Amino acid sequence: MANGHKTKGLVLASVLMATAALSACGNNGNNANTAATNGANAAATTEASTKPTTEAAAASPSADASKDQPLVVYLNDFDDIVKPMFEEKTGYKLEIVSGNGAEIASRIEAEKGNPHWDVVWMDSMPTIDQMGKNGQLLDSWAPGNLDGLTDFAKSLVPANHTYFPTGEHAASVIVYNTKAFDANSAPKTWDDLLDAKFKGAIGMADPAVAAPAYPFVAWFFQAKGMDQGKSYFDALLKNDVHVYPKNPNVAKALTDGEIKAAALQESNAYTLKNAGEPVDIIWPAEGAPASVRVAAIQKESKHLEAAKAFVEFLLEPATQQALIDKGDESYFEPSAKGVNAKADRAADAKLVVAEAGWAGEHEGEIKQWFADKAVK
Amino acid sequence: MLRLGTQGNRTGWLVLAVLFLLILLPLAAVVIQVLLPGVFFGHFELGNLSLLLDVFRRPLWYVSLKNSVILGIGTTVLATMVGTAIAMARANWAFPGAKLLDFAVWILIITPSFLLAQGWVMFASVDGLAAQWLSWHGLHSFIFQPFGLIVVMTLSKFPLAYLTVYSALEWKVDRLSEAARLSGGSAWTVWRTIQAPLLLPAICSGAMLVFMDTVGDFGLPASIATIFRFPTLPYSIYSALYTSPIRFDMAGALSFYLVLLIALAMSVQLYAMRKSRYDFLSSRATRSEPKKPRKGGIYLVIGNIVFLAVVIGIPFGSNLLMSISGSSSAGKGRELTFEHYKALFAGDNNMLLEGLAHSLEIAAVAAVIGLLVGFLVAYVLTYSEFKLRKTIDVISLVSLAVPGIVLGIGYIFIWNQAWLEKIGLLLYGTPWILILASVAGVIPVITRVVVGAMAKVPRQLLSAAQMQGASFSQRVTSILMPLIKGALLYAGLAAFGASVFDLAISSILYPPNFMTLPVVINKAFEDLQFGYAAAATLTGGGLVILIIAVMELLIKPSRKRVKA
Repeated sequence: MANGHKTKGLVLASVLMATAALSACGNNGNNANTAATNGANAAATTEASTKPTTEAAAASPSADASKDQPLVVYLNDFDDIVKPMFEEKTGYKLEIVSGNGAEIASRIEAEKGNPHWDVVWMDSMPTIDQMGKNGQLLDSWAPGNLDGLTDFAKSLVPANHTYFPTGEHAASVIVYNTKAFDANSAPKTWDDLLDAKFKGAIGMADPAVAAPAYPFVAWFFQAKGMDQGKSYFDALLKNDVHVYPKNPNVAKALTDGEIKAAALQESNAYTLKNAGEPVDIIWPAEGAPASVRVAAIQKESKHLEAAKAFVEFLLEPATQQALIDKGDESYFEPSAKGVNAKADRAADAKLVVAEAGWAGEHEGEIKQWFADKAVK
Repeated sequence: MLRLGTQGNRTGWLVLAVLFLLILLPLAAVVIQVLLPGVFFGHFELGNLSLLLDVFRRPLWYVSLKNSVILGIGTTVLATMVGTAIAMARANWAFPGAKLLDFAVWILIITPSFLLAQGWVMFASVDGLAAQWLSWHGLHSFIFQPFGLIVVMTLSKFPLAYLTVYSALEWKVDRLSEAARLSGGSAWTVWRTIQAPLLLPAICSGAMLVFMDTVGDFGLPASIATIFRFPTLPYSIYSALYTSPIRFDMAGALSFYLVLLIALAMSVQLYAMRKSRYDFLSSRATRSEPKKPRKGGIYLVIGNIVFLAVVIGIPFGSNLLMSISGSSSAGKGRELTFEHYKALFAGDNNMLLEGLAHSLEIAAVAAVIGLLVGFLVAYVLTYSEFKLRKTIDVISLVSLAVPGIVLGIGYIFIWNQAWLEKIGLLLYGTPWILILASVAGVIPVITRVVVGAMAKVPRQLLSAAQMQGASFSQRVTSILMPLIKGALLYAGLAAFGASVFDLAISSILYPPNFMTLPVVINKAFEDLQFGYAAAATLTGGGLVILIIAVMELLIKPSRKRVKA
């Protein structure tokens, strides 16, 4: 009895130890100390004996400062195709942390005392603009590819050269369910959304929650003025607009028939259409508020050469063309000249954009207004 | 006795230090943001303390606090009742399908709450499965209101109460009940005056676990938000941390109120149990053995099946259906396909497998370390005279109620300070940070389960052995561990399962190029690939359940032989 008992225990223990060893060997010398702190000497001893496993060997970038360290890029899209393209083209090694815009921004903010990233590349221009003003970004460096940008893109580059646009997409276009409306009866302008005949039929993402919804509302607040902006959205809420946490929820509500039309982020809209859903897209003539994807280099980066090479790489027409042809968020207006946007992207797509500095300064205030509005 | 005390003191300080480092320090790092916003970035300026009062001024915050209290109390009461009733039925009666119940409980514990909630949303929304297939159109308006949410929460959280009570029923002292019956007490009187009071510590622990897990839950309010706006404290904390401009000070202020809620709940529990002594397990105790009910066995079977169909069938059935539904909405619900499962393993896309491997490794190491820490915590709480026992008790529960994102941000503050690099302890950016954070996340569950079991092993057993000259490790390995082996196993496996899917911690802490399973799943959700996400979840979950089942099998047989 006692023997059987012990054998079982041994099997269990060795299974657990083996798993522990597998993980432990993914690290460099640090873990001995940590393990001791936690009273788990087991992991530390097994580590020594199981060095050769290489599975997770690339996992820790920060321990010993050598020249061969990879460039660390924080981004929110294109994580699967950028790495091989960049490594092949430049020979630099690239490591990626991807997450949604808010996760990345939060991480950057929490790391402020000891940043782990070299380049950030996200469609959150107001946030990155603020980072530039707070001295977190490398300034006064102009990439060679700057001249190749479109005039619209050039107008977005800040005077202190802290970040560079790599493309712009509509934070919202108007999308309608073709079973409910046709091209004539569907809302065509942003003001149409206030029309009583669309009462309860419209959906949008929550600017207090969804990252891309902020550039959308920010443009209204800047173009119309704070008070007018508030009264526009007040009227929209009075028209029983459905507010969903994020764009995918809006998309789902639209295809489920919960709403009949929506202000929806551009690539979500085209994804729905390409998937054969009964939807159509309208680009309002007054312009669709844009979200701008920008790249910026961290001020204290220890890998400046590689970081600059990465930014140059993003501004190259060939790269942007590849993102459009093969990327997951491929519906955008390229910032470089000579690049063709997706063939099915509307030719008359007009983008308007809230000024980054203004949008960054008023971000907290506007979002809080929406958040408090929503619970009332 | 004296030496038992000294040993307890040494262990006590060790445990306190570990808990402080793993849980309190990161939490404090976030809460202190209210007072000193720039403290980790080298500025020392005083923050705006009036933020703490904003909870009564800002509509969103006030509603969040109110909702958290309502949801927490409602779920605690209901889930404790449900969990206790089921645990007693399961422990008293043997009936076909009882094993399924045990299994279901584990599945519920390790499944991330956002998935359960998501399943309920798919089932109960206006055009959900209930309306489409069963024509239950009223369900929507029942679920999406505060009481409905309490019911959904109860059906997801009752396992915590069930497990605590059930593992306390592992041993029983029949003499007490028999004496009462001989003296003429009815079965009900015996239950009310003897069995229930003896179970009180387990019931209280279970209730406490449910309360903590409910007020700290982020998945439900987040998933429900698509249909019904029900912001809670974790939801608002999430908003402060995950929307630009990032406001750590606001998250700190709201976390402060979460901590306050926990403190209040703990005080209530301490007050309720202030005079009790519960180590009734003596040498006359026998392992409790469920008996076949004399009549009505069939009702137990049917009741069990219906119950499982609701708590497991609804959330998982909805996810399963999602995972095999075609991706176009044209044939939604009808066109069945395995495309999402194929996509998991398609060609060069090994992201899922890599993430799965990483998550399993992290969870296994975290479970082992967590079990070690949790055992020591429970030992100190149960047997030592350590004067800071109450403090340890509180800290050990805190991470259940504090949302993972708060701990995650705290871990960055603590473990990403430049000076740590010089002593080789710059853990942020390595997989170790995920392990530490996971350990912090699993300590509450492990500790509660083990404390519940230890409460029944009287200190005299250990003292007697000590007088015969048994060392600390001998006493632990030859007396304590065999007696509570079942609970230890449950605790370790629950910890393992829960860590695999801990999204909040891994999304903020994962090192570059070190994807974990929940990050992969969440990414799919955000990219609108609901089918892929559901398929990935079910595949990962299935594997975890398999591992747990194998582990249980490895240990269980020896138990039967003990009895023979």
